Amino acid sequence: MEAYLAAIATVALIYVLLSLGLTLHYGLTGLINFGHVGFFCIGAYAAAILSTKTGLPVAAGFVAAAALAGLAAWPIGLVSLRLRDDYFAIVTLGFSETVRLVVTSERWLTNGVQGIPGIPRLFDGLGVGMASAIALLALLLAVNAAAVALFLRLARSPFGRMIEAIRDNEEAVRALGKDPARFKIRVLVIGAAVAGVAGAFYAHYIGYVVPDQFVPLITFYVWMAIIMGGVGRISGAVVGTVLLMLFLEGSRFLRDALPFISAVDMASVRIGAVGLALILFTIYRPQGLMGDYTRR
Amino acid sequence: MVFWIELLIAGLVSGLVIGLVALSITLVFGIARFPNASAGDIMTLGAYAALAGHAATGSLFAGGVAGAAAGAAASVAAYALVFRRLAGRSTVALLVASIGVAFVIRAGLALAFGHAQQVFQVPLVRPWRIEGVRVHPNDLRLAATAAASLAAVFVTLYLTPIGRRMRAVADDPSLARVSGISPVRVMVALWLVAGAACAIAGVILGLRTVVSPEMGWEMLLPGFAAAILGGIGNPAGAVVAGLILGIAQEMATPFVGFTYKIALAFVLMLLVLLVRPRGLFGRLEGVR
Repeated sequence: MEAYLAAIATVALIYVLLSLGLTLHYGLTGLINFGHVGFFCIGAYAAAILSTKTGLPVAAGFVAAAALAGLAAWPIGLVSLRLRDDYFAIVTLGFSETVRLVVTSERWLTNGVQGIPGIPRLFDGLGVGMASAIALLALLLAVNAAAVALFLRLARSPFGRMIEAIRDNEEAVRALGKDPARFKIRVLVIGAAVAGVAGAFYAHYIGYVVPDQFVPLITFYVWMAIIMGGVGRISGAVVGTVLLMLFLEGSRFLRDALPFISAVDMASVRIGAVGLALILFTIYRPQGLMGDYTRR
Repeated sequence: MVFWIELLIAGLVSGLVIGLVALSITLVFGIARFPNASAGDIMTLGAYAALAGHAATGSLFAGGVAGAAAGAAASVAAYALVFRRLAGRSTVALLVASIGVAFVIRAGLALAFGHAQQVFQVPLVRPWRIEGVRVHPNDLRLAATAAASLAAVFVTLYLTPIGRRMRAVADDPSLARVSGISPVRVMVALWLVAGAACAIAGVILGLRTVVSPEMGWEMLLPGFAAAILGGIGNPAGAVVAGLILGIAQEMATPFVGFTYKIALAFVLMLLVLLVRPRGLFGRLEGVR
């Protein structure tokens, strides 16, 4: 039971990192990022490749994950300067699908659809069992706390006021002589780097990576989390992710209760439930459960 | 040479499919004013409905009609249940909701028909050889169907009263409204046409390849790419761009391999957005 709770908490904290990045992108700045899973994927593969194919320490994999994911966001940021926000959504969606195609096709680097197995787990030195699980949880909690602190600081700094102004009225920002483009690029890179770190944690936790783990559905899990929690609030990202985990894990228990539903059918039920949640929340509760960002 | 001509023919047929999807996306974008991410899954729905219709009646034509009708009905239902309630809300709300609609449709189809790939049970036909070039009669029939469907959409759009009203709403919704054009009727017509066009594209794609719950979602990016390449809101542009994209994808396959075909659509879309955001043919809607 403890092991199960630890496992859920680990995955939840990884998702919180993703939600925080997306909150920075969409909630605070208004960038409709539909390709969040792309940054997650880059981070996961970076950590996986460095830790299995080179002798570098695991920490190097984490640095590379953050750096490469951030670097991938850079050209997207450059493009985004010239795009209306709905086009940006399509471009980012295309980006994440392209990332998935690349890791599927470039066998020499990523081993294609077979993926990369045997990624070392963190804190293996502490032995198998609760000790390493708790050490990992503590590290994840620390990283999450650092990310929350960073984002809260960002949100309350002049930089934060600027990106929120961009979200609310980009024209006005431009009229004041500020260049929204530079701020958007920075926001994208920071959020992507956090997603990259989440990817590295994921790779080291699950122990293998395959392209199928990085489908657009993951992006929309994260969207569902921040929409449920309340867009534009950092607390909303955390609350929404907890709800998301309850939903994802709950659907697993539902399958135990209803044994006639097969595993693949359950996956479909989950996709349908995500879709329904996206629809119902946008129609009936666009401000999410934690309240509206405009009335903070 | 023969090889390239065969690729060109394959590209034309898949270009017509992309063109139909892009036409649907561009019409919705022009009139309802949001990028409709559920277009791909309406395609899938059309393919499955045609599969069921074909199995029940044994007639491919009846199957196709069933597919188009199911796509149109689902599309209007999505409008009535979801998009109508979000009228006047931000584009993001509509975009997120359309992703939701896409997921619900896909989940429903996977639950109803299973995840396994299915094929239309049609007899194999020996390809014709014209000067050594292999031409599949079925491909020609499908291309003709796609072209006829495209023509039907354009006739609706440019030669009927409801088409004129649709174009009026696309140009200026408030002006259309004060001129006495009922927005609801225009919207219902729009979603009927958009849904049927997607569904027919799905039927054609399903007949050429296989039917699976993910088939439509995978066509979404090429569809968007063609809609943007043709200039968003420009119906003729969307079709021409779809053809260009289809041919480019097939012709590039020997160079970049099969998996990167979709990435090509993405790269092309990026280039267009960067270099010529209004698309190849420009368009009255000067926003981007």
